[in-house]
Amino acid sequence: MTTFAEPAISTTPTYAARAPKGQSKGRLFVKWITSTDHKTIGYLYLTTSFAWFLVAGVLALLLRTELARPGMQFLSAEQYNQIFTMHGTIMLLMFATPLFVGFANVIMPLQIGAADVAFPRLNMLSYWLYLFGGLMAFGGFLTPGGAASFGWTAYAPLSNSQYSPGIGGDLWVIGLAISGLGTILGGVNFVTTIFTMRAPGMTMFRMSIFSWNVLLTSILVLLAFPPLAAALLGLESDRLFGSHLFDSANGGAMLWQHLFWFFGHPEVYILALPFFGIATEILPVFSRKPIFGYKGLIAATIGIAALSVSVWAHHMYASGQVLLSFFSFMTFLIGVPTGVKFFNWIGTMWGGAVTFETPMLFVMGFLVTFLFGGLTGIILASPPMDFAVSASYFVVAHFHYVLFGTVVFAMFGGFYFWWPKMTGHMLNERLGKVHFWTLFFGFHLTFLIQHWLGIKGMPRRYADYLATDGFTTMNMISTVGSFLLALSMIPFAINIWISRKSPKVTVDDPWGYGASLEWATSCPPPRHNFTSLPRIRSERPAFDLHYPHMAHEDGGH
Amino acid sequence: MRIDRRIGALVAVLSSTVLLTSCSNKNISGLGFQKGVSSVNDTTGPLWYWSWVAAGVVGVFTFILIMWPVVFHRKKNEDFPKQTRYNIPVEIAYTLIPLVIVAILFGFTVKDQQKITKVDTFATAPHNIHVNAIQWSWQFTYNDAPSAPTVTGTPAQPPELVLPLGEKVLFTVTASDVDHGFWIPDFMMQMQALPHVENHVEFAAQKIGTYPGRCNMLCGRSHSEMLFVVKVVSVADYRTYINSLKAV
Repeated sequence: MTTFAEPAISTTPTYAARAPKGQSKGRLFVKWITSTDHKTIGYLYLTTSFAWFLVAGVLALLLRTELARPGMQFLSAEQYNQIFTMHGTIMLLMFATPLFVGFANVIMPLQIGAADVAFPRLNMLSYWLYLFGGLMAFGGFLTPGGAASFGWTAYAPLSNSQYSPGIGGDLWVIGLAISGLGTILGGVNFVTTIFTMRAPGMTMFRMSIFSWNVLLTSILVLLAFPPLAAALLGLESDRLFGSHLFDSANGGAMLWQHLFWFFGHPEVYILALPFFGIATEILPVFSRKPIFGYKGLIAATIGIAALSVSVWAHHMYASGQVLLSFFSFMTFLIGVPTGVKFFNWIGTMWGGAVTFETPMLFVMGFLVTFLFGGLTGIILASPPMDFAVSASYFVVAHFHYVLFGTVVFAMFGGFYFWWPKMTGHMLNERLGKVHFWTLFFGFHLTFLIQHWLGIKGMPRRYADYLATDGFTTMNMISTVGSFLLALSMIPFAINIWISRKSPKVTVDDPWGYGASLEWATSCPPPRHNFTSLPRIRSERPAFDLHYPHMAHEDGGH
Repeated sequence: MRIDRRIGALVAVLSSTVLLTSCSNKNISGLGFQKGVSSVNDTTGPLWYWSWVAAGVVGVFTFILIMWPVVFHRKKNEDFPKQTRYNIPVEIAYTLIPLVIVAILFGFTVKDQQKITKVDTFATAPHNIHVNAIQWSWQFTYNDAPSAPTVTGTPAQPPELVLPLGEKVLFTVTASDVDHGFWIPDFMMQMQALPHVENHVEFAAQKIGTYPGRCNMLCGRSHSEMLFVVKVVSVADYRTYINSLKAV
């Protein structure tokens, strides 16, 4: 069985992650860091990755401040290289990837009606590997030579000990290998949980889209992170023991690019799919309709996951060493299931009774931003056009539209949406709306102009440019936008702070139209998630429970 | 009354989108790139332009589809809307139509890609220039001249790359140390310069003038100082120039 009977001693089912009166802060701390509760571990993941988001955001502000005017303002070129290397590394591997693990940990077992994940202790081990791996890579800033400065892509031979000496580079390589192991173990855990611990009645085709996407993302993790681990350990062997794996005389320059992007492209979808999932959870609730084309949407996600391992060399068109037509075709093809998803999302809203609470607002921000990022992706999929703007600010703008548009907008959507489920308190709507619009305008002010910068010839990863280049005004606008973006964190911080005092959520589903199973248990859920499980006869068990007259049964099994 | 206001809002949003995307471009026909400055622009320029037209149509269409329910399908009362779950004809349409669009784009891509990646052999190329990237500058060797003279720049003194007007040049691109990128933004072309790898790219510069060239692959501390200047001159001036260079 996948559910446990709750001990009858507790009258309120909320004792799990909250300190009963009289429990000291120290005991609570020990309880958290030794927990095997998937929700507690999930909260650790969410808070840690959000802290990394703020750290990497501050690094981004340093970069933007340096670029505001031509000439070096307050950083050296070497410091600038360290900062953008760590900005990229942290955002992708210490913020976005573990943020997926955080949401998956908190939400997925609830959605499939499980009491915990399959391997609760492994779950905690994954977290510690992630935390210390991340701190290790970031700790490079404390070493005499500074942090790694070869870009988050660490192209060999620049990343070897001859061209990038210093312990900062070694800390980066080994730190990422360790935190990557945590991610791999997390993937194993989620795949096993979904395959073996679904509640009675929860067939695969009744599972929520978020849980489906967690499954497919975890499979991608298992495909993509081991090659990265191999590449990183090989690189460290070159750096430390003087081996010649990535020696350019043996073709090492191309070998690294292939290995790295064989990880790197699926990684983009590892970041995107769970957040597509979050958007797909939010849309039906605020449209008061089921997901439109549920099975087609799953097919599209499977298609994206399958294609994502066959498009890596589109990052390498300009290397002159890859079969352009094949990778171009596969890349164009991946646009089709992505387009299908858009129409599923639109179809879900179509003819609905749509309202715009903050989570929904963030999903709209995601849709609009990701739409533009997707279109520039189609442009870049074509090698001739890629030759014109590859490795320029056009590409920087494109991937920020895709990744920020997906990860950050959907993350905040998910925070506002599941905050009552996680804490038992609602976040404030008015502050949420201020937060959204500041973030939205700040983001577009920062990154839209960067497409033009790229077309006008500004390469990525440049610490400086000439006054005669004609980049000054555009860079200034982008920098102003980045500070507006940063300011949007203030209403969010206030919102979290005041939410402690907001009235307790007493119902299972404060939004009123929740579909998936997490809305059929208390806010926050008890230690083993459910005191009783509803009948699961469609992909909307909580909705069926709350609106039995509307229940749709998907033909018997 | 309420509906009117919504239509007004929708029109305002749409028209501002159109204005924002159209008024900032003086040379709208090139969408950021000059026409005709190189043989690559002749091929990639139209592809760039028409791809953006297609992307614009798809983007605006999808944007309207997103905004439509936002404006017109808001919650009006407590009744549940129709709980539509599937519509097979619509689902087939929105799978097949994007497939057709990307197939067309791919067709044009392959045609243009073959044109711009086509290179002569060393023997048949009208002109040969060897490009060597080093931390953090460039070495250009003019193999056309009998003595094959080399020009070497420094970060403080970016080198000039002199090109003959209207004639194809075969560039052999490589690097001595780490990965670099040989990029001339105005010519819509780039090629990675990789150690122990020789890449080839061939094109003709078609307009007299000077153009910035930049390294666009991170190559270490002074990456942003790894610049060069492309100077396009008449064929006669080009001959005079390379003959005036001393052999190294």
